Amino acid sequence: MATASAATIELSGRLTADRVGDLWRAAMATLRADPARPVTVEASGVESADDTGIALLFALTRLERAQGGAPVTTEGLAENLQQLVDRFDPHDFLQKSAREAPLGLVALVGKATADELANGRSLVEFLGQASRALWRAVTRPQSIRWSEVFAIAQEAGANAVPITLLIGFLMGVIIAFQIGVLASQFGAVIFVVNGVGIAMLRELGVLMTSIIYAGRSGAAFAAEIGTKKVNEEINALVTFGLDPVDFLVVPRLLASVIVVPLLTVLANLIGIFGGALVMLTFNVNFAQFYNQLMGAIGLPDLLIGLVKAVVFGLVVAGISCQRGLATGAGASSVGLSATSAVVTSIVLIVVLDGLFAVLVNRLGF
Amino acid sequence: MGALPSTPGASTPPPCGDAEPVIRVEHLKMGYGMRILLEDASFVVRRGEIMVILGGSGCGKSSLMKHIIGLYEPMAGDIFVEGQSIVHAVDAARAELQRKMGVMYQAGALFGSLTVLENVRFPLDQFTDMPEEAKDLTARMQLELVEMTQAADLMPGELSGGMLKRAGIARAMALGASILLLDEPSAGLDPITAANLDRTILSLRASLGFTFVVVTHELQSIFAIADRAIMLDPKSRSIIAEGLPRELRDESTDPRVRQFFNRTADAPRAQAAAGA
Repeated sequence: MATASAATIELSGRLTADRVGDLWRAAMATLRADPARPVTVEASGVESADDTGIALLFALTRLERAQGGAPVTTEGLAENLQQLVDRFDPHDFLQKSAREAPLGLVALVGKATADELANGRSLVEFLGQASRALWRAVTRPQSIRWSEVFAIAQEAGANAVPITLLIGFLMGVIIAFQIGVLASQFGAVIFVVNGVGIAMLRELGVLMTSIIYAGRSGAAFAAEIGTKKVNEEINALVTFGLDPVDFLVVPRLLASVIVVPLLTVLANLIGIFGGALVMLTFNVNFAQFYNQLMGAIGLPDLLIGLVKAVVFGLVVAGISCQRGLATGAGASSVGLSATSAVVTSIVLIVVLDGLFAVLVNRLGF
Repeated sequence: MGALPSTPGASTPPPCGDAEPVIRVEHLKMGYGMRILLEDASFVVRRGEIMVILGGSGCGKSSLMKHIIGLYEPMAGDIFVEGQSIVHAVDAARAELQRKMGVMYQAGALFGSLTVLENVRFPLDQFTDMPEEAKDLTARMQLELVEMTQAADLMPGELSGGMLKRAGIARAMALGASILLLDEPSAGLDPITAANLDRTILSLRASLGFTFVVVTHELQSIFAIADRAIMLDPKSRSIIAEGLPRELRDESTDPRVRQFFNRTADAPRAQAAAGA
């Protein structure tokens, strides 16, 4: 209700969270319509106010025009509510937020580059620490906590057998079927066996196993060590004079070196078996498949896959542990570490696989 | 804070005394499986009162608080919040009762992915259609009440223990909660931070009329803030004392109560056996 000289904002009833939204919009519209016009807040009908109601009264009567404009007067507000409103100083709420201003494009690129460089540096440092710790462990095997190694190997290896078998089998089936359909058009179905054998042993078996390992066990390593970091268990280790790398990283590295090649062999076998099953539909029986396979693959194919499995196992375990140890504060940091461990591991696996392909080709295997 | 009624001429609501009960616990039996923590416990918490639940570690103080909030089901008995049973309320009715209570958990329980301000705003974001500026201002005012304005844009991981607890209290005050339940607010804090937190609790009660249920075993804090205290005993699984903390300390004839308030260790076993 407006008068010739002053606008009136009338508040009544309960100023509670369920009503304040609408009241706020209407009252602010009146207040902001003409800053030069005095406003009277008629509050004698206010029965009660919760936190949102007090915020509304404060915003209307003290904050909105604290930096200029015609005065806002309050009428009829109960003394206890008025005291609550007066408890706050408008200047405390007019100050700019301390939050950092959003970065520009150049600053963003610079920050991202600096972050990546710092990340790379910590990775190199960790690589040095882990290599030293691994060397210590290898030269003094009695210092290795074998019970921990086997417990990790069981969780990361034995418990991963079903998913590895499933994915390996499907890889063999898919490869055999896709190449088989194409090869049958040229009467070259029997050579599909060569393709399946070489692809599984050299590339797909180890690649899929390592990616599964990164997603399943790498994430677990990062989350577990990250949680230990958040709970200050890492600090506790250090204060006992123990090196967290020796204590937490080495068992995982050793377990991964054992487990990933074993899982790779399983994936290879089941993948080739899946290929053999598909080849039945192309009239290639098991005996023909076996004979063709034996002529197509050799020990180097198996060894190339196994060497890659050892390297990929070390990469996954190393990256995941490093990400875990680099976890910041809070539960969300643990999630970020786990995500980062999986993504970085998979990227590195694929990049290293490409390098291996070039290297093996140059060496003539 | 609770919807504070307008009372012309009165600056604060009268604390406790004959005020109406806002929490009524009747013949409560609680525990976990075969382990009974409390049997046939009854007490009331009055509007505007600061009621302290005290007792040694493991006696069920925090569990009792979680029963009052409705997080755990009692084995027997009932708990009434503003006259309505939270034990028998279901779904929306229980959620409505739970919103009358704000809770500060032991470690603050702030959401780690949100800033302090966003944590305090969280209930407003979820349950109101208020404009952004209104939610922001309300949350900042709540932080101001617990002297945490400067930390509004920090992440919980960047806060000290005392700051986490104060931010937890600010979040607990949202959405018209009129009863605040605080789980070990002073535990692990330095004496100055703990005293500041006690002052904040008294100040919030005086200015906003909150009712407090505080779980603690910090003696200095108990004497600083409590209007009334109940003491739980794990051996007898019951409330063994109720009253003003100073009276309990000075006048109780129960040796367990006197031992707690005088902070004396158990007698050595050999000595106890000789005495027996």
